[in-house]
Amino acid sequence: MDLNKYQSLAENLVEKSKKLGSQEAEVYIIGSRDLTIEVSNGQIETMKSAETYGVGIRVMVDKKMGYSFTSDFSEDALNECINQSIQNASKNTPEEANALPEKRENYANLDIYDSSISQTPVEEKIEIALDIERYARKYDPRVKIIENCTYQDSEYSTIIANSNGLSGSYKGAYCGAYAFLVAEENGDNQTGFDVQYSLKFNAIDPKKIGEQAAEKAVRMLGAKNIGTQKATIVFEPYVATNFLGIIAPALSAEAVQKGKSLFAKKLGQDVAAPQISIIDDGQMPGGILSAPFDGEGAPTQKTSVIEKGKLKTFLHNKYTATKDGVSSTGNATRVSFKSTPEVGTTNFYIDKGDISREELLKDVKKGFYITEVMGMHTANPISGDFSVGASGIWIENGEFTTPVRGVAIAGNISELLKSVEAVASDLTFFVGKGAPTLRIAKMTISGS
Amino acid sequence: MLNERDLREVLEVALSHGGDFAEIFIEKKRNTGISLEADRIERIVSGVDVGAGIRVLVGENTSYAYTNDISKEGLKKVAAIVAKAGKESKKDVTINLKQIKYTTDLDIVKMPDSVSIDDKVELVKRANAAARKFDKRIVQVTAGYGDAVQEVIIVNSLGELVQDTRIRSRLLINSVASAGDVIQTGYEAVGGFAGFELFDNNVPEEMAEKAARRAVLMLEAKPAPAGKMPVVMAAEAGGTMVHEACGHGLEADLVQKNLSVYAGKIGQKVASDIVTVIDDATLKNKYGFLAIDDEGVPGQKTVLIENGILKDYMYDRLAAMKENRESTGNGRRESYQDRPIPRMTNTYIAPGKSDPKDIIRSTERGLFVKKMGGGQVNTTTGEFVFDVAEGYLIKDGEIKEPVRGATLTGNGPEVLQKIDMVGNDLGFAIGTCGKDGQGAPVSDAQPTIRIPELIVGGILND
Repeated sequence: MDLNKYQSLAENLVEKSKKLGSQEAEVYIIGSRDLTIEVSNGQIETMKSAETYGVGIRVMVDKKMGYSFTSDFSEDALNECINQSIQNASKNTPEEANALPEKRENYANLDIYDSSISQTPVEEKIEIALDIERYARKYDPRVKIIENCTYQDSEYSTIIANSNGLSGSYKGAYCGAYAFLVAEENGDNQTGFDVQYSLKFNAIDPKKIGEQAAEKAVRMLGAKNIGTQKATIVFEPYVATNFLGIIAPALSAEAVQKGKSLFAKKLGQDVAAPQISIIDDGQMPGGILSAPFDGEGAPTQKTSVIEKGKLKTFLHNKYTATKDGVSSTGNATRVSFKSTPEVGTTNFYIDKGDISREELLKDVKKGFYITEVMGMHTANPISGDFSVGASGIWIENGEFTTPVRGVAIAGNISELLKSVEAVASDLTFFVGKGAPTLRIAKMTISGS
Repeated sequence: MLNERDLREVLEVALSHGGDFAEIFIEKKRNTGISLEADRIERIVSGVDVGAGIRVLVGENTSYAYTNDISKEGLKKVAAIVAKAGKESKKDVTINLKQIKYTTDLDIVKMPDSVSIDDKVELVKRANAAARKFDKRIVQVTAGYGDAVQEVIIVNSLGELVQDTRIRSRLLINSVASAGDVIQTGYEAVGGFAGFELFDNNVPEEMAEKAARRAVLMLEAKPAPAGKMPVVMAAEAGGTMVHEACGHGLEADLVQKNLSVYAGKIGQKVASDIVTVIDDATLKNKYGFLAIDDEGVPGQKTVLIENGILKDYMYDRLAAMKENRESTGNGRRESYQDRPIPRMTNTYIAPGKSDPKDIIRSTERGLFVKKMGGGQVNTTTGEFVFDVAEGYLIKDGEIKEPVRGATLTGNGPEVLQKIDMVGNDLGFAIGTCGKDGQGAPVSDAQPTIRIPELIVGGILND
């Protein structure tokens, strides 16, 4: 994608929007080239490639906001998009805090574009996917079914311009690979998966992905239900990131301003155990979601949201920041060109602690090491209530004993954060979210 | 727009290196979305997404590519990329196209395009006012309206050329109630393969009151109990359980990969005698209605389980080709950016003979589920969960105090075998089903049913 060409198109569309009746206008253009290779049983099952682009236009008419998008870049379609956006604005409610970020002279120069991602021949990428499967099967003969081993990459360009004279663009790329597989023994089937995403092509490690996915499936063979009881809970990093997904929306200033956050009115207070620090870092080196600016052109930054258990700040975009009289934290995020910039997280993680995973497990007399939760999306980010299906491995006297499945755990996020007893040093990222192993005080396990 | 000759040429490029099947899926989708929150309209978003996906099947392997450039040149470029999957050297192919017409009487009374933005805005405002009026403990209301008009052209190397228009509308209401430190929510949604007339029978005020009532009720509810117990699910609770406990496991792609507990069990007893499960795309105006699926195959009614016996799975073309049989019209995709895969449409447990009141009356103790939320399943192990949005304890055959925050979990085949009462009623609910990262509009339904034991994910008292 020719950045200069689209940068001028964006600036022209801003001008046109102003001529057609908007006082403020913003044009966001995204273009990407994507590749996905899925293999199974030593064969390419699906190869998917794409080149797509789209534009989203946000306008303000008398402080009323309207939005429209199109993936058709013909002149007629772009004009229609502007008109539609202005028409949508005219039906909206005026809001004083509606504002666009100010002009910036320059943005941080981040290492987020590895040209070898797009330049590496597709044959090598296929080989990565095939290698994952080979390593998984070699790890243990009980690995019988490969749902898929996948390599994926994307090269993208983002362009933004607004009527404050803000204009910016960047090019980025990421790649990743994952495996979903099944181990089988005595008629018992158990699933395992592993995933790795990186900004560097060379960092992808098919051996690690294949072996870890295999290990996760094999260790669950023979899993049984257990009786209903209370026990110490340990979250594997992946499970902890699942819970972070429920915490994230409650830390957005938008949720707070609307009375929809369990953290509302708690600024400056202890909301978690002192071992817990939660950070959002839009410029994290190596972070998949790192970018020089956010979804509306505000510079990204590193924000300590919860520091040693204390709630320090909420995450903001321009609108919520204007409303609260603070600065944007660079957390305007967009799902795609089809959506307005909302408040979201970038590279969002629970900071690592200072003990090893082994030390964290050592003191557990009777506990449940949870490796998978089901139905996390049904947890309620407003009330904080959650009740999810869980599987994992039983712990006795600091040692893993037998695999457990088909049970459920329930509680409330506020209480959960406060009852964290220990945080390990093994911070692991799963795309945009990261967490170390966490040990939690006793919780109810619902079983047979 | 492209004419038949252009489409034929593109298909011929796609098959120029061999391959067993080629297909072009062209889509133009116009959306409108309106959201209200904090007593004011927040977002009015509309737009159009245009694109095409082309695939070539070589044996059991798929090559797929998509683009926003739907000019003849743009499509030929994409066709040349997917053609490389063919193993043969360059060859000439000739395809003859015939337009296939499906006459469907869609009954769309008020096309979304013909309804003014003002009327759509009014709808969410009415919902907001009604929810807030219901109780002063309602502190926040979110209402979202959405409509989509999707025009598709599907053309394939079998010579079939099919055009279809899908119109969907929906309204979602979420109300938040707060008292002291407790904050709870209530959610209601309606959606259909329908235009704006959908809201003639689904009055926003009534939906909003339901959502508000639930949020307020949950403020006073105690945490759900923990452990195994009998569960009665009301018809109005929706069909999340059947969707998760057996629906996904009956999708042929998962079955063929042996990723389903239901694999290899056709003709076998997989559920109790009183259980019949059906997927029916032909239910007019339901959210999962399809005149034709996203591969150009007519939507149909498929009996999956009949009186406990497993009869059939849900197929798309690829899965059907692997078994040398016909697709069941379940090939769906989220957009031109996705390859089609077997998906559910409108899935339900057929009504039985019991009076719903008798089902409750004959249950000594347990949990009564009045409304289900979302769910998830691991089709390989059969384990599933679903969320209870509104639940009550049953004591001595009567519905007692409300409980909150419960997920129910069980193993699909085990639970289906245990169902011991099926009511003579039927209730539908809508949802967006996720699989392989693709969302699909579906509806699910069930009569009132009883499961003698299911694990309730609650809290133990100290």
